Amino acid sequence: MSVAELKERHVAAMETVNSLRERLKQKRLSLLDTDVAGYARLQGRTPVSFGPTDLVCCRTLQGHTGKVYSLDWTPEKNRIVSASQDGRLIVWNALTSQKTHTIKLPCAWVMTCAFSPTGQSVACGGLDSVCSIFNLNSPMDKDVDLPVSRMLSGHKGYVSSCQYVPDEDTHLITSSGDHTCILWDITTGLRTSVFGGEFQSGHTADVLSVSINGSNSRMFVSGSCDATARLWDTRVASRAVRTFHGHEGDVNTVRFFPDGNRFGTGSDDGTCRLFDIRTGHQLQVYYQQHGDNDVPHVTSIVFSISGRLLFAGYSNGDCYVWDTLLAKVVLNLGSLQNSHEARISCLGLSADGSALCTGSSDTNLKIWAFGGHRRVI
Amino acid sequence: MPPFETSDADYVAEFSFAVEYSGPPVTYNLPCAVPIKVERIPVAAAAAQVSLSDKLSLPVVQPLLAPDPRSKKFSKELKTLGSDSSTLVSPTTVIAFDRNNESGRDCKELELVSEATVSPTSVIAFEEGNTSNRGYFRSGELSSSRALEFSNGHYASGELCDIANSSREFGFSSISHEHSPELLGGAGISSTIEFSDSFDKSLGSSLASRVSCSQKESLDTNNDLSQADWVSTESVSSFDYPSSQVSSMKIVDGNNESKCDLIRTPVVTFRDFESVDAFDEEYTQDASEKRMPQVKGKKGSCYRCFMGNRFTEKEVCIVCDAKYCSNCVLRAMGSMPEGRKCVTCIGFPIDESKRGSLGKCSRMLKRLLNDLEVRQIMRTEKLCEANQLPPEYICVNAQPLSHEELIILQTCSNPPEKLKPGKYWYDKVSGLWGKEGQKPSKIISPHLNVGGPIKPDASNGNTQVFINGREITKVELRMLQLSGVQCAGNPHFWVHDDGSYQEEGQKNTRGYLWGKAGTKLVCALLSLPVPSKFSNSCGEQGSNIVNRTVPDYLQQRILQKLLLIGYNGSGTSTIFKQAKILYNEVPFSAEERENIKLKIQSNVYGYLGILLEGREIFEEEELIELKKKHSSRIIDPSGNTGNNDDKTIYSVGPRLKAFSDWLLKTMVSGNLETIFPAGTREYAPLVEELWNDPAIQATYNRRSELEMLPTVASYFLERAITVLRTDYEPSNLDILNAEGVTSLNGLACVDFSFPQSAPDADIDAADQHDSLLRYQLIRLHARGMGENCKWLEMFEDVGMVIFCVALSDYDQFSVDDGLPFDTKQIRSI
Repeated sequence: MSVAELKERHVAAMETVNSLRERLKQKRLSLLDTDVAGYARLQGRTPVSFGPTDLVCCRTLQGHTGKVYSLDWTPEKNRIVSASQDGRLIVWNALTSQKTHTIKLPCAWVMTCAFSPTGQSVACGGLDSVCSIFNLNSPMDKDVDLPVSRMLSGHKGYVSSCQYVPDEDTHLITSSGDHTCILWDITTGLRTSVFGGEFQSGHTADVLSVSINGSNSRMFVSGSCDATARLWDTRVASRAVRTFHGHEGDVNTVRFFPDGNRFGTGSDDGTCRLFDIRTGHQLQVYYQQHGDNDVPHVTSIVFSISGRLLFAGYSNGDCYVWDTLLAKVVLNLGSLQNSHEARISCLGLSADGSALCTGSSDTNLKIWAFGGHRRVI
Repeated sequence: MPPFETSDADYVAEFSFAVEYSGPPVTYNLPCAVPIKVERIPVAAAAAQVSLSDKLSLPVVQPLLAPDPRSKKFSKELKTLGSDSSTLVSPTTVIAFDRNNESGRDCKELELVSEATVSPTSVIAFEEGNTSNRGYFRSGELSSSRALEFSNGHYASGELCDIANSSREFGFSSISHEHSPELLGGAGISSTIEFSDSFDKSLGSSLASRVSCSQKESLDTNNDLSQADWVSTESVSSFDYPSSQVSSMKIVDGNNESKCDLIRTPVVTFRDFESVDAFDEEYTQDASEKRMPQVKGKKGSCYRCFMGNRFTEKEVCIVCDAKYCSNCVLRAMGSMPEGRKCVTCIGFPIDESKRGSLGKCSRMLKRLLNDLEVRQIMRTEKLCEANQLPPEYICVNAQPLSHEELIILQTCSNPPEKLKPGKYWYDKVSGLWGKEGQKPSKIISPHLNVGGPIKPDASNGNTQVFINGREITKVELRMLQLSGVQCAGNPHFWVHDDGSYQEEGQKNTRGYLWGKAGTKLVCALLSLPVPSKFSNSCGEQGSNIVNRTVPDYLQQRILQKLLLIGYNGSGTSTIFKQAKILYNEVPFSAEERENIKLKIQSNVYGYLGILLEGREIFEEEELIELKKKHSSRIIDPSGNTGNNDDKTIYSVGPRLKAFSDWLLKTMVSGNLETIFPAGTREYAPLVEELWNDPAIQATYNRRSELEMLPTVASYFLERAITVLRTDYEPSNLDILNAEGVTSLNGLACVDFSFPQSAPDADIDAADQHDSLLRYQLIRLHARGMGENCKWLEMFEDVGMVIFCVALSDYDQFSVDDGLPFDTKQIRSI
């Protein structure tokens, strides 16, 4: 078979794939008779309403000197780890708003950080293409800096996001600018499996975010610059279980819905979307019309513990609280008292769902929670 | 547009109000209209506290985590004061008063200055925000009102109030539309300016500095359109200032003068905050030092909850001396990014009297927080920039230090301990150090380039005996005599840092001061300093800037980042390695060298593999050629003849053949690198044999046909035998030539600083001054970074970007085409 012939067949195959994809899209559209919001309205649901003290900024965590890029809560205790452009990881006590650890990173260009499920260690990754693990219990050396306890190297591009597999301190999933996601075994420091890559049906651009299913830790989704989100099974590294199209820009963030059957995405096209992993359908688009042509990117999203609220940070400094059922903005954290002075770059919800932490380019983190007295019924 | 109309009407009312003033002066007890002189402000500040404490006895709970709590405090005070003073004036009118009242030269000047400094920021911010609003207000009633008010035709002050108005009104209209009508109806009172007014009233005009703080910040919030803040202030102001109140005030004639008096301070404060340079430094220092908390409760109680008495345990703010009980300290001090400071005091320099307690933890904090947290707080307290000693507070040889000099002083190997603000003298030759007018207190590192030249009367001696140009004190003379130095005839000594001394103008060393054991004893008796143990080595260390540890906060400031970008083979890694070799004393650690060695060796195997591959191709080609010749010569295709002719110049023996096959196989399977570090020893002789094989040499001669072979390959292949030995040590040149030594993906960075300039180079003083500057060369691998440049915003602070394009790529468009695209994107920073 000559090269020309091969090329021809390749083109033909591509065409077939595209036409099939188009047909699939048409079919989906025809099957999709309503979206969540439409149905909820039919059922007579009303949006959640917020009182003035229902969500207030109750702590400001000051201490970084650069933009905050990422944050993560511990699952059980009220601690937060944050990563900033100043090249430091800071572990905070969210209750006292004090720092417990400051970790100066060997590579200052950190993009992501994560707390391990037991709260014993933190992981971070960045432009050095390495995911570094720090054990918080290890003795500090003279500079009060923590030594790196393990380096997970193997990515060929920057590490954009990392998350520990729930209930396991030994496994971690990272996403990278080399179009792949990797499941790591931390004890050995080796790759367990690589998702995507050259010969596999994976992402075709930088992967920016991963989220592991909370109820079934074998499944995770990844969002990428190729405007798709993909669902993966950690046991099947060769190909994605499902690919979710719909976004028109880079998918900056993905986050599983608390029940594990849906996930949300946030994208450069200014929309958040809700997808169902069982049907592969897009359930809802969350988009707020803006007057001008400048569509603010969605930088980060997080669901409330019930899933009724979706917090979405935008590049223009807004942080909307969406009612996921009715697709209505019920609150804008950016307009509240004591809100951040710059864009909100990352969001995180505490494990019990009682507090939301926002990290911002203004170098501060803020914790938002219920601020009034509870009504006695 | 009903709201605008009402506001229009109000402005008209104001004018009459303004004009009214020329009538009878005060019936009211006022902090009278003293023309504010800039020099007098700090003096008055001391008195201010008194008026504060007795005036503001109302306990008002303040939300502490507000972004600008100070302005909020003012608003609260305003509430309390509003009832009795009722001096609520719109700024425009007040300025008009001001002008009427004073009409003095200085007043005009003040306004001029304030206009010049304030207007750019606020107007610009406003323009960005909402042009339509601005257009309306400025061209509308405001400008007209201004014109009316300033009948003197002083345009500058008009500008000012215009700005104040416009920015304020923008704030209102943009944030809460439902409020804006009434506020506009209320004569468009600028909430921020008023706060300071009433505040001022209670304080007298004295605490101008404080007011200016609040004002500046509130102005800033205007500019930044920080909405939350506006909402907060607004909510207060909106019920505090119903329009009726304003109109009622107009009736009161007597207030006029007070108003003008009150408002004049803001005019001044505008200026002194915006143009700090124009001000004398003394004043600004005073202003920042005199940060005082507002005591509202009874004496000794917590400053936040007003509970407890002087005996309850409290934590003290190291800036403003506010004391908080254990319940409040975490709320009042937040996350303590700069140690124990109130949230409002963050960023301000500390009270110098508390410098000694920096980093020393109280029992209360230990009880409230866990060990790790306390340690973090104490560490930041000691190390953060705002808490460092301000260099201008230290005078060495009658010359205040600059930042750099202070750093030099503090980071030298033998620094003066517990440096406090004050005047010192420093003998650069011997390293003697002491307070001005006193005997030496310490011997520090000599030859530091700090402060001015030493003065003869630095230690206020009267003995007529000089050491290094300083007249020594009696105690020192006594020491010299006791240690057996001839001091008759008022000699001038020249003492070096090692203790050797000579008389001025003479070459021979007369002796060593520290040579005798008794000398040190005498020194101890007379409480004179003796050299520390390290002083001998400090000569070299002082000049070695590169290895000096610099505190963290400084590193941020003095680091110049250079970003190096380019594709594979464009030379970025070579430049990077060059920088490493040139500027690092130990460019590569032993471990790194070992890695590099392995890398180079596996690279060479890779090159060999390419050669072997080439050999096979060449052999095949040759065989085909031969076969063609054969077939042309011999027609019958018998196998026998073919076998004999298989031998070409490219053929190798069976043993080497097996090796090369194996090598190629491992290469194809991609695990060359995993096998080779271990296999080096085993295969080294084979490789030698292979390399010496004529077949390989023949292939090597045709290396230009092998596209895969990089150009540097020949450098290593020609030295393949030495390179592949197990005891091979890569030289710097080898490293420079090696491929893939710096990590191919992602990023590497190296810090360096230019070594102290060579003496012959004609570098001007400015360059030498920058010797603390450090450079960080960051090498980015474009391919590993992806095309989306999501990482771009991480490099907003780089000072320079270096793009590398390989010259040899000029005809290889496939490599090149990404570059211009990338370049464009990078430029978009």
